[in-house]
Amino acid sequence: MPESFAKRTVVVTDPSGVHARTAVAIADVARRSRAAVTLIKDQRRVAATDVLQILTMVAAAGEQVEIEAEGVDAENVLNDLEPLFAGKFGDEEEKTA
Amino acid sequence: MQQLQGIAVSPGVAIGEALVMDNEGFRIPRRFVARDAVVDELERLDKAIAAAAAEIAHHRETVSAELGEKYGAIFEAHLQMLQDSRLRSELEEMIRQRHYSPEYAVSRILRRYAQVFQRLESSYLAERANDIFDIEKRLLRHLLGRRREGIAHLTSPVLVLAHNLTPSETSNLDRRFVRGFVTEVGGPGSHTAIVAEALEIPAVVGTGPFLTEVSGGELVIIDGDKGLVILQPDEETLARYRHEAEELRIQATKLEPLRDLPAETRDGVRIELFGNIEFPYEVDHCVDRGADGVGLYRTEFLYLGAEVEPTEEVHFQAYSRVLQAMGQKPVVVRTFDLGADKMPNMPHPEDERNPCLGLRSIRLALRNLPLFRTQLRAALRSTALGNVQIMFPLVCTLLELRQAKMVLADVMEDLAEHNVPFNRNVPVGMMVETPAAVMMLDRFVDEVDFLSLGTNDLIQYTLAVDRSNKDVVGLYNPADPAVLRLIAMSMEAADRKQVPISMCGQMSGSPLYTMLLLGMGLRRFSVTPSAIPEVKNICRNVTLADCKAVAERVLTMENARDIRSYLKEEVKKYVREINE
Repeated sequence: MPESFAKRTVVVTDPSGVHARTAVAIADVARRSRAAVTLIKDQRRVAATDVLQILTMVAAAGEQVEIEAEGVDAENVLNDLEPLFAGKFGDEEEKTA
Repeated sequence: MQQLQGIAVSPGVAIGEALVMDNEGFRIPRRFVARDAVVDELERLDKAIAAAAAEIAHHRETVSAELGEKYGAIFEAHLQMLQDSRLRSELEEMIRQRHYSPEYAVSRILRRYAQVFQRLESSYLAERANDIFDIEKRLLRHLLGRRREGIAHLTSPVLVLAHNLTPSETSNLDRRFVRGFVTEVGGPGSHTAIVAEALEIPAVVGTGPFLTEVSGGELVIIDGDKGLVILQPDEETLARYRHEAEELRIQATKLEPLRDLPAETRDGVRIELFGNIEFPYEVDHCVDRGADGVGLYRTEFLYLGAEVEPTEEVHFQAYSRVLQAMGQKPVVVRTFDLGADKMPNMPHPEDERNPCLGLRSIRLALRNLPLFRTQLRAALRSTALGNVQIMFPLVCTLLELRQAKMVLADVMEDLAEHNVPFNRNVPVGMMVETPAAVMMLDRFVDEVDFLSLGTNDLIQYTLAVDRSNKDVVGLYNPADPAVLRLIAMSMEAADRKQVPISMCGQMSGSPLYTMLLLGMGLRRFSVTPSAIPEVKNICRNVTLADCKAVAERVLTMENARDIRSYLKEEVKKYVREINE
């Protein structure tokens, strides 16, 4: 598995912004991943596993957030995280499917 | 340093450590821990986090099982917010590096996070601050354990800062250690204002939100004269206020010898100085100041904060305590002056948009006779123990007065029938606190034994000003010529029939108005006990001729501002020697 660094800028499209549930989902993905994931907004860097930090970043709809991942599967973890900023949670898709 | 402006409701200056209470009466504790206790304190923090986490996890399980995963999710978020690694390291740093107590660190840091949300425009996001406050409370509850009781158990002097103080909180506060109050909400008639006055400690209310910016143990100054609250004052401000507090103390000491001297003018006219009280223990303040009696015993506290309507015995015990202390000096018991909203077990009035003009006071009493009769029975029974007088509040019409007196007569018959001792000739009077009562006073005087001018309400109803409304409070002014004319009319009407008249509003306790009121003919002042020495001092330094000249001049003047500045000059002329 490739050891790597990946970076992506996402726009929050969930109309409610990054809310409690999003933050929990982000932290879950980040914790499961073997890469170290960091979120950056307005030059503030927070660990993607820290829910209080994610929430107090206050990412509202329409705002940009940068995601950095360093380590194993860096690119994959970004792929998993991106839909969350659009308010798309895996469990709902399963239900509707 | 941060300065807040609120409404001054109880005078004086207090400097001290803040005791911050949240909406649940929860106490945010002191600031520092001993250097060698840091490791133990960190362990205590981790235990508290673990316990709080276990509690939240349990909630999540229960709620998910009962209401579904979606509802449990908010607890999952709380849980993860609590276990945030940056939060933990920030807390540790505060405890290790700055020797803050875990409680202080938790409250300080979580409030800082909450502020991030509170500053936002969107009310939806601002609501999230509540999630953080919730976590703060939970952690504090575990950290404080049994020490979390509000203001009931104190060990050192504190200034209490709260959103609001409820009667149940203040009823069991430790009076030895509370030195001042600040509340975010409330007006001049609020419960906090009344309790502060009773305790004779400075208080400022209605400052607006600020509690998230202070933590327990911080230094605070309360300026109860100007309505200012200063958080973390700088050296210079602190020095200035220390000096002022010292001056006030010296001034009070200088007036102490007046205690045993009569309130007599220089030309030998004896003035009566009575005390206003709310709580029975305040009678001691009256005795300490050499009061000639209790001119206004408010009985509202018996109802406020009570779970059930007070029984006749509860009333009787309270009255007895006051009468015992006052001996044969008069005690004027005023029947309850409350709206239905403050009464235990009474449904809230449905369409009361304007409580000041609504169903309250004597109106409420006449519609709830059993309630009224209970109080009257206790008051009548207490007439056997001392010099009790009974007074009805907010009387507007002759009919109301007659109805109230009929109820009283009826209760008397009932007591007589059961051979319960009481004084059948108990003096019965009324408050004069509406323009309607003043206009009809020439008729009222034929049906009462005494009168008492309640200036707080009289000013409010005359000038159409709500004193707790910041935008119009500036219009509330005892020196307004319209108010003074109503007072002059009342004095004349009372004088014509030789009916004793007193004044029990805040105006009568303000030394600024003493000369004017004496000049207008007032001979009986009923004031908050702490104001007795100052008012007495003025009485003893003036002649009635001086005062009449002042009153005549004032009654020709056209606006409150001129009147106030004129009165200030006059008072200075006569009592200069004491103030210097």
